[in-house]
Amino acid sequence: MTTTPRAVDLHQVVKAFPSVRAVDGVDLAIERGETVALLGRNGAGKSTTISMLLGLDEPDEGSVRLFGTTPERAVRAGLVGAMLQDGRPISRVTVRELIGFVGRTYPRPMPVAEALALAGLTEQADRRVDRLSGGQVQRVRFALALAGNPGLIVLDEPTAALDVEARQAFWDSMRAYARRGNTVLFSTHYLQEADANADRIVVIDHGRIVADGTVEELKRAAGGTLVSFDLAGEGSGWLAGLPGVTAVEIRGDRASLRSEDSDATVVALAGRGAVRGLRVEATSLETAFLTLTSGASGTDASGTASAAPGSARARVTTAPATTPPSATTDEMESV
Amino acid sequence: MVLDYLRLEIRRTLRDTGFVVLGIGMPVLMYLLFTNLGASGEDGAEWKTSAMVGMAAYGALGAALGTGGAVADDRSSGWLRQLRVTPLTPRQAVTGRALSGSVTVLPAIASVLTAGALVNGVRMEAWQWAALVLLLWLGALPFTMLGLGNGYRLSTQVTGIANMLCTMGLAIVGGLWFPADLFPDWLRTVSAYSPAHSFADLGWATTEGAAPGAGTVAVLLAWLVLFGAYAAHSYRRSARTV
Repeated sequence: MTTTPRAVDLHQVVKAFPSVRAVDGVDLAIERGETVALLGRNGAGKSTTISMLLGLDEPDEGSVRLFGTTPERAVRAGLVGAMLQDGRPISRVTVRELIGFVGRTYPRPMPVAEALALAGLTEQADRRVDRLSGGQVQRVRFALALAGNPGLIVLDEPTAALDVEARQAFWDSMRAYARRGNTVLFSTHYLQEADANADRIVVIDHGRIVADGTVEELKRAAGGTLVSFDLAGEGSGWLAGLPGVTAVEIRGDRASLRSEDSDATVVALAGRGAVRGLRVEATSLETAFLTLTSGASGTDASGTASAAPGSARARVTTAPATTPPSATTDEMESV
Repeated sequence: MVLDYLRLEIRRTLRDTGFVVLGIGMPVLMYLLFTNLGASGEDGAEWKTSAMVGMAAYGALGAALGTGGAVADDRSSGWLRQLRVTPLTPRQAVTGRALSGSVTVLPAIASVLTAGALVNGVRMEAWQWAALVLLLWLGALPFTMLGLGNGYRLSTQVTGIANMLCTMGLAIVGGLWFPADLFPDWLRTVSAYSPAHSFADLGWATTEGAAPGAGTVAVLLAWLVLFGAYAAHSYRRSARTV
């Protein structure tokens, strides 16, 4: 850390608005070359965090450093590119002119043609930005973030306005940029996107970081594995005492055990001969997310979730871990 | 960097049909109407010259204030916010805007003067034409500042209305449309100290072959300082929310 400062270093950052503490003591460190997702519901504090990170907003407390300096200096030095969330397309300017202009404000921009190609805009280069479709405008915003070839790009809900196909193309572009050794931070409320495109996921809720780690670490933190089997008429009173088990759920003749040590749980079950229809599944990321963001009652919430047939939570809990949940584009707030 | 930004903004302005039609066409049309209906003879020639300066000043005034409308639009579209996350500094962004604003007044000035020379047969020495363009161009700066002040402070719609009211109000009070000689006494006094009158006076003095009066220049400079402070204050205020 003393030799090369981190790309991003937020320390105990607080931002309060009259009605709400939008960001409430956030610590966030991102090493160079990492791709990090900032995952949270709408209103969780993602955009406020990003605004402060970019120097668009001043934190009330705490410090923000980019590459070891203030956001203003880092932006001035051309180390940062950003794709902001809001706004209409800029009027009366062509894609090529706009990207060329923004690129030239940086010390070492990438060639305009390259930025256009990376963002998938080669064919629209000479069209006016205010005459493009929503998805194309979104790609222009992405191109603006990388036009200057900065070491860090920050993308605030980059796929909010895109359909499924455009989304795929967008993430391909983003990963291509990240592969060049650049640091990427993006915010999203789509779990699947965070899972598929980030090395690391930082979950933010009510202005606080509630989880920070790889996808696997997140799933573990949220209550590990789900072990289920058919009771075949046996009683269930003994299940809670099995090694590793943190919650027991009985539905009909089937028992579901949430376990933080599935190996031990399965061995113990096998010792009792209770292996009929045995299934071991990793907690889905969505369940993990719900557990992490439901506050103090987290374990309870996910524990009872599988008992609510037809609810979204029950659906995701029983989805096989290897295939992504079918509702890949479900927005979190719809749950 | 500023030059690059300047070029981009000029391009955007010239692609604005509203600007080209209203900002350039209107002053020319009004000039030709005002000078070819009614007045004639010896008196007519003088009126054609002074109205030419008045309408060129009016066109420049409108174009300069129009910069504010473009700024308000850029603010609401998020473009100014996007600029803030590029290495372009806020100072460079404002400088570029002020420069592009002052460049975009040139077409309005040039077209009215051209109409004066070609259609209405206004004749002056070459140096007078050159001085006229230069003085009207420089003199438009206070109005660019006023427009920027509105644009950095108000919403797009309100800026549009404010700019229109400022343009019309200043043009009328300044005697750009009708000579201030026709005003009642009290209004003529107000007019003498109004920014648009001082602005056009730079041109009127030139057409009479004289240097602008020190008083005129002083009044205009005072307005420049005032409107400049207004623009700076608006910008600082907007920086917190943009």
